[in-house]
Amino acid sequence: MNVGGAIRAIISFLIFVVLHYTLRPLLGWRAPMDFLILALLLASVRVRPATAAVIGFVLGLISDSLAPDALGAGAIAMTVVGFGASYLKAVFFADNLVLNAFFFFLGKWVFDILYFVGEQRVHGIELLQQLLLWSPLSAAVTAAVGVLLLFLMRPLLEPTPA
Amino acid sequence: MQRALRSNNRFDLIILSSCVVLAFAARALPNTMRDPMATGMRRTFLAPLVMLQERAERGRQSLLSADAKQSYLDSLSLSSANAGSLESENDRLRKLIGLGARIRYGFIPAEALHGRGVRDETTVILSAGSRAGVSRLSPVVAPEGLVGVVDQVDPTMSHAMLWTHPDFRVSAMSPDGTAFGIAQAHLTSDIGGYLIELRGVPFRATLKPGAMIISSGWGGVWPRGIPIGTVLQEIKTTEGWARTYLLRPAVNPADAYSVMILRRDRLAKGFEGVWESATQVDQAAQRIVVSGDSAAKAAALAEAAARRAVLDSVARSNGGAALGANPADTSAAARAARAAAAARPTPRPAPVDTTNRVRRDTTPRDTIRRDSVRTDTVPMRPEAHR
Repeated sequence: MNVGGAIRAIISFLIFVVLHYTLRPLLGWRAPMDFLILALLLASVRVRPATAAVIGFVLGLISDSLAPDALGAGAIAMTVVGFGASYLKAVFFADNLVLNAFFFFLGKWVFDILYFVGEQRVHGIELLQQLLLWSPLSAAVTAAVGVLLLFLMRPLLEPTPA
Repeated sequence: MQRALRSNNRFDLIILSSCVVLAFAARALPNTMRDPMATGMRRTFLAPLVMLQERAERGRQSLLSADAKQSYLDSLSLSSANAGSLESENDRLRKLIGLGARIRYGFIPAEALHGRGVRDETTVILSAGSRAGVSRLSPVVAPEGLVGVVDQVDPTMSHAMLWTHPDFRVSAMSPDGTAFGIAQAHLTSDIGGYLIELRGVPFRATLKPGAMIISSGWGGVWPRGIPIGTVLQEIKTTEGWARTYLLRPAVNPADAYSVMILRRDRLAKGFEGVWESATQVDQAAQRIVVSGDSAAKAAALAEAAARRAVLDSVARSNGGAALGANPADTSAAARAARAAAAARPTPRPAPVDTTNRVRRDTTPRDTIRRDSVRTDTVPMRPEAHR
């Protein structure tokens, strides 16, 4: 990735982070989209797994700092998701919107599973309901929004031809 | 190549493990350390994101509460509108209580129920009937003055004719008794609204705009002293022998909701002092105006009299005729007067009693009071000539 591509990727990353703290609370849906996961996944496929793990760790700490009771849970989940996304990029990141959507869906769902299990705030039926109902819904919304943003930000995200 | 790849994988795994260990360490921190750490991040490099999130949350709350706020504003507007009517109603009731305290006894408080039909401007239903002591031709009054008269009585309610009714008449007068007339509704009002005509006022009696008109007590239905209205202007009618005035009513029938029905047996006791405050104010204003006119007239007359007295004295001392005596007048009376003047020794000029003269001249001979006696309308009894 050249310098221009890196700058565009950083700008896209920042846009997703800002959207996470502006559009998401503004909409306030029960099954919200997760722009931080989208930012992490889009960054992870462009960097080494170790870098993706660090990015995930930092993003996780950022999200956890706004919910201090779960400090660390988000960091664990995002580290794993980032590393996994970077490790599996060759598998998932073909130039196919459906595969990208599935990638976003899976990333968000795995994150939620790791997060809620690591957070240990909800238990039993409530945890199952969260992981089997609200998390898939949230992952689906995240995937849909991610695909939409990929489509809209294609000029910014496409690699520069050599 | 494979060694380099294996080395990279090992490096990635080490970093991953480090991050996971750190994350677990953060998760395992006690609350006493976790909160300061999170707070420190929020207050430093995360501050812009926190601010963005707060604004977004506030925007969402504003969006969500917009309907509720609109409903609240609507309710508040409705409440404020009701508060205005409640305030005016409270004021009316307070005045009514004051009127009741002044009347003391012999009245029946009632609610006036306005109709919605064609004749709703001229009649009203009252919430008191014969069981409460209401009888036919009982006057209906409000704290401001005259409202109407009861024309039908049921056991629990009664029907009243407002002063706006075409058949309504009340004998009226000015508070100082200088003008009398018959008050009735002004049916063809170019000015608009509810107005009253004061008809049959003697031609020599003039009423100034703003003068209060009250009931005179003649006729037996209305007691004396109930305010009817204030004079707006004189209107021209075909009757050349009397004046007609337009009055602004003391009570707007549309505003009469709480009224008092005066019992017939109370009328004979009189209502002195009940509505006196309003009429007293009016009388005081009239007195000020009249006294101002009298003072100006008195000053002018005194000056003219003094000048005439001086000229007369000068003329007599010179042997001439007094001013006002015409030498060309050849009538017998004039000749006799001139002869008497010539035979009379020239008197010393006496001091002129201007005080008495002024007083005599300023006596309001043509005041309204004398006209208001209306001797021409009172039939003289035959024994008075004997």
